[in-house]
Amino acid sequence: MPAVNSPSLSVLALLAGLGLALPAQAENVITWGKPAEITGFDVHVAGTVASWEMYQMVYETLLTNDDDLSLQPGLAESWEEESPTRFVFTLREGAAFSNGRAVDAQDVIGSIERIRNPEVASYWAHQLGEIESMEALDDRRVAIELAQPHATFLPALAHITAAIIPVQEYQAGEFDPTSEMLGSGPFMVEAHDQDERWTLVRNPHYGRAGYPRADRMNVAIIPDESARMAALRDGRIDFTTFENPDAPQMLGATANVEHHPIQTTNYYRLDVNALSEDSPFHDRRVRQAMNLALDREAINMLVFNGTSAVDYPVPAAFGKDACRDLDTYALSREERLERARALLEEAEQPAPQVELMASSANQVLVRIAEVAQQSLAEAGFDVQIAAVPTAEYLQRVFTDGDFDFSASWLAGYTDPSMVIQWWNPKFAVWNLAFQEEVPELSDALAAIRATPDSPERDEALSEICAMIDQGANLLALVSKIDYVVYRSDQVEVTLADRTGSANTWQYIAEFAPVE
Amino acid sequence: MRLATYLLPRVLAALVTLLGVSVLVFLSLRLLPGGYADILLGPFVTPEARAVIAQRYGLDQPLVVQYLRWVWAMLGGDFGVSMVTQRPVIDELLRRAPVTLQLALIALVLALAVGYPLGVLSGVRAASRRKRRDFGRVIGAMGASVPDFVLGSVLIFVFSVWSLWFRVGGYVPLGVDPVGNLRTMLLPGLTLSVFGVALILRTTRDAVLRVMTEPHITAAVARGASPGAIIRRHILRNAAIPVVTVVATYFGFLLGGAVIVEVLFSVPGVGLYIFNGLLNRDYAIVQAGVLLAAMVFITINMLADVLYALIDPRVGVSR
Repeated sequence: MPAVNSPSLSVLALLAGLGLALPAQAENVITWGKPAEITGFDVHVAGTVASWEMYQMVYETLLTNDDDLSLQPGLAESWEEESPTRFVFTLREGAAFSNGRAVDAQDVIGSIERIRNPEVASYWAHQLGEIESMEALDDRRVAIELAQPHATFLPALAHITAAIIPVQEYQAGEFDPTSEMLGSGPFMVEAHDQDERWTLVRNPHYGRAGYPRADRMNVAIIPDESARMAALRDGRIDFTTFENPDAPQMLGATANVEHHPIQTTNYYRLDVNALSEDSPFHDRRVRQAMNLALDREAINMLVFNGTSAVDYPVPAAFGKDACRDLDTYALSREERLERARALLEEAEQPAPQVELMASSANQVLVRIAEVAQQSLAEAGFDVQIAAVPTAEYLQRVFTDGDFDFSASWLAGYTDPSMVIQWWNPKFAVWNLAFQEEVPELSDALAAIRATPDSPERDEALSEICAMIDQGANLLALVSKIDYVVYRSDQVEVTLADRTGSANTWQYIAEFAPVE
Repeated sequence: MRLATYLLPRVLAALVTLLGVSVLVFLSLRLLPGGYADILLGPFVTPEARAVIAQRYGLDQPLVVQYLRWVWAMLGGDFGVSMVTQRPVIDELLRRAPVTLQLALIALVLALAVGYPLGVLSGVRAASRRKRRDFGRVIGAMGASVPDFVLGSVLIFVFSVWSLWFRVGGYVPLGVDPVGNLRTMLLPGLTLSVFGVALILRTTRDAVLRVMTEPHITAAVARGASPGAIIRRHILRNAAIPVVTVVATYFGFLLGGAVIVEVLFSVPGVGLYIFNGLLNRDYAIVQAGVLLAAMVFITINMLADVLYALIDPRVGVSR
């Protein structure tokens, strides 16, 4: 239970009589019902939100983001852009890992070098851009020189995959990041029973005085949605998240259970296989027809009860206008269906038979697939749904390219230039198995990487969006909302209205049990 | 000596079975699409990253080499490490085994407590001249035909809305809070026991029916023995033989086959560990888990054979 223990006088007297030492202060404990276990310990490697969420409790990054997704100080209390390719970071005075050692410039350099090391197999090296050199100016200052301007370099440093690890201990063999966690974040790991529970305790060396407010955080791994709901009802957990909007609604009548939808830059998407000659989607016109025939609003209404919103390749959460005037979004449903049917006729495939794949682990994706199946049937598509285990889905889509199209979701991160790069398969790499490379689009994407946020970049984003829509190879559907549900009688929470990079618990240090 | 002669062929057969299981589980895991690299890196897995991960865990070696290394290591007591946590799999299996054992025992006790008396009663009633409705067959058919994931899902739904003392999920170790432990373990135990109730009930009923047609029962009736005495002295002991066999098989099944129920109720036992290992393509977990479950199953069946021989001296050791 999260409430502060207050032993009665008689118990105190008994303990005193027995000569037992009393704790100096009762512990504040909060309990998180985590929907999924991590997939690995290595903060620089794992590419899953379930892992990122846990890393965010233990590690820190040089920079962070606020609710507006603007960059904020993290481990670096300040940073200076001396030129478009040279940045100098100054580490926070007194910043220390949970073992008490001060974070220094070598930790920053070593961490980034580790991310760039192919032997580590970190996917994040791409997002950091090409780093020419790194130099420790003194213990607290690091200069990083890029080979060319890279607008997303700073936002990439704010993602947890760019966490700063204790390099000195790592190099001395005293710390193995593949099997343990040691960072400068609010908590440190005290115990872990795989697939069952974690016990996190306050990091006494955390940089923010008086934080985290909780002394201890118990983490219960509860994958089953009903079991998480039951745990919230009877107060065994204080807070959790759901992807399914029905869950918070079903809990709505429960006393003291509150919910808070967090808008994210992430969105649900369809990956369409343009490269397989066995797929009807090899023909661009069939892909375009499918894109037009999709009823995104129906997905929002039927799957998310209207709590989400139609989304775009440049995520709506960034507040940009790019993409909104495209036919895919601007035309009426009837007009789009008419055009879709015409395109199928032109492609001489009036009733394409296609398979829509989704990971069976995520029922929201399966429900999206079901609505997509219905809306595409109106244009003539014959869609079969295949719900398969996650590992099979990942291999068939991202390695073998053995599929027609699949439902998933995309991390929008904290800058439009980061997410938009996924349409260049040579940069993204993960979609090489199904994404067609369009040279002019790739050129435009390369150019925007070096363009800072400005009206010129907004204009370029609009042009890029039109090219993306033409290719109809990777389709944005609706925004992904994180439904946070918590017990207001047990825990005080601070939640963002909007997050990037799946940082749902970015204010976890401020969580505390209700007294 | 006679016991050794009785056991030796069974031990040899068990070793051959284990060898077969090891090959089967090893190969079938490799045939599954996707690997740990996919799970770890998600969509970001590149051929280079896949190669790094494969090399790290020896998955770049030929299958025969991988298999032989695994078997050789196991013979030395090394069951491998989890790719997710880098911790020895055997430690985790041993830590979880008591949880699965407790779940299996709860299910077994419930199944025996309900199934055996009902089976005896159903058998006696079926054999009597005053035949009434045979409830045993109805309960047996119902219990055997309801899949545990259906029953478990219904129980989860009901008890997550109305707690009614029980708890859905949130396992508490027995040593920490015995009552809390029971509150979380009874529902999964009940779910697992339903098939056992049906199995034991039907087996007992059939055994009782068979025993009741034998001459010594007729003789006992002719001697004027009371029905209670006949049941206690003659029927229960003789009908126990097939029941012991079935109970042993069922217990072995519970120890190795509680996967679905453990997953449904988030019971942190061996089954859940193997299931998650399978989803994560964490080969060492699944290989060790399945092989150890097979070992337990085979051992329990061998013990049942011995017990069978002890209950009925006409078979087994004396033969």
